[in-house]
Amino acid sequence: MAQSTKHKSRGMHSANHVGPNMTPMVDVVMVILIFFMLGSSFVSPDWYLTNNTPAIKGGLSNVKTNAMPPTRINIKLRVRGTRTIAILPGLQTADLSGELATFLTNKHKELTKGVPVQIFISPSSGVPYRDVITTYSDCIQARFKQVAFRPPPAQ
Amino acid sequence: MKIRGIKPMQDAHVNVTPLIDIIMCLIIFFLLVGHIAKAASVKGIKIPAAKNGKDLRNKSNQLIINLVPPSGGYGNDAMPSILIWSNRISESQLAAYLRKQKSDNPAIKVVLRADRSIPYRSIAPVLISCAQAGIASIHFMTRRPG
Repeated sequence: MAQSTKHKSRGMHSANHVGPNMTPMVDVVMVILIFFMLGSSFVSPDWYLTNNTPAIKGGLSNVKTNAMPPTRINIKLRVRGTRTIAILPGLQTADLSGELATFLTNKHKELTKGVPVQIFISPSSGVPYRDVITTYSDCIQARFKQVAFRPPPAQ
Repeated sequence: MKIRGIKPMQDAHVNVTPLIDIIMCLIIFFLLVGHIAKAASVKGIKIPAAKNGKDLRNKSNQLIINLVPPSGGYGNDAMPSILIWSNRISESQLAAYLRKQKSDNPAIKVVLRADRSIPYRSIAPVLISCAQAGIASIHFMTRRPG
C-alpha cells in the first residue's frame, strides 16, 4: 500500500511539468532576432546630395531667370569618347573630382564675398548620371549653394 | 522534534511568455522594416558615389523614384524604367502623378535613386517633371566612396 502511494505521488510530481517545452523555440527565435539585428547593422546608411531648387509657381513656364543671381557659372559637361569633360570659363578638364573641384573651390573664394552665385550644370544628353553627380558634389564641396540643372540641348 | 523539510518548489521556473512576446514583436518589426526597405530599393540599380553627401535627418514625406537601366543596354533607344517605389510608371504620366502627390502633400520630398550609368537624357525628364509639379526638394541618393 505504501508503495502504491509512493508511485502516485511521483506521477503527480511529473504532471506539474506537462506543457510545451519552450526552450527550443526561444533558442530559434533568438537566433532569428540576432540574424535580423546583425543584418540591419550591415546595411550602410543612406547618403544624399540635397538640391533645393526654388519652387516655381505654375511650372517651368513661369521661370524668371532675372530673379537668379547675376553672377553665374555655366558648367558644360560633354562626352569625349568614354570620358566626360567639364567645360567652363577658364577650365577644360576630364578630372571631375580633382581639378574641377579645386577650380570651383578657388572660384568660390574669389567670387563670393557676400554675393550669391548661380551655378548651372549643363550636361549633354549622353553624359552618365555618375558624372553629373560628381560635378554636383564638387559644387557642394566648393560651398556653392545655388546649383541648377539645365535640360540637355536639343539634338 | 520533527523537522519539516523545505517544500520542493515545483513551480519555480522562469516565465518565458513575456520574453517570447517581446521577441516576436521585434521579429515582426524587423520583417516589416525589411519589407519596406526591399520595396524602396529596387534591384539592378548601382548608385553613384559622392564625397559630399549627408544623412537625411527627416525621412518623412519621401517619394522614391527609381530609374532602372534597361536589361539589354541602351541600344535601339532603350530607355530606363521609372518606378515609384516599386510601381512602374511611364514618363508621360510622371508629371501628372507628381502634381497630384504635391497637391495631396505639399511637404513632399523626391528621392531620386538612379543607376550611375543612365545617360542624362533620361534623368532630365524626371527633374523637369519635379519642377513642373512645383516640388522644390530633390534628394539624389548616393553612396559613400570606397
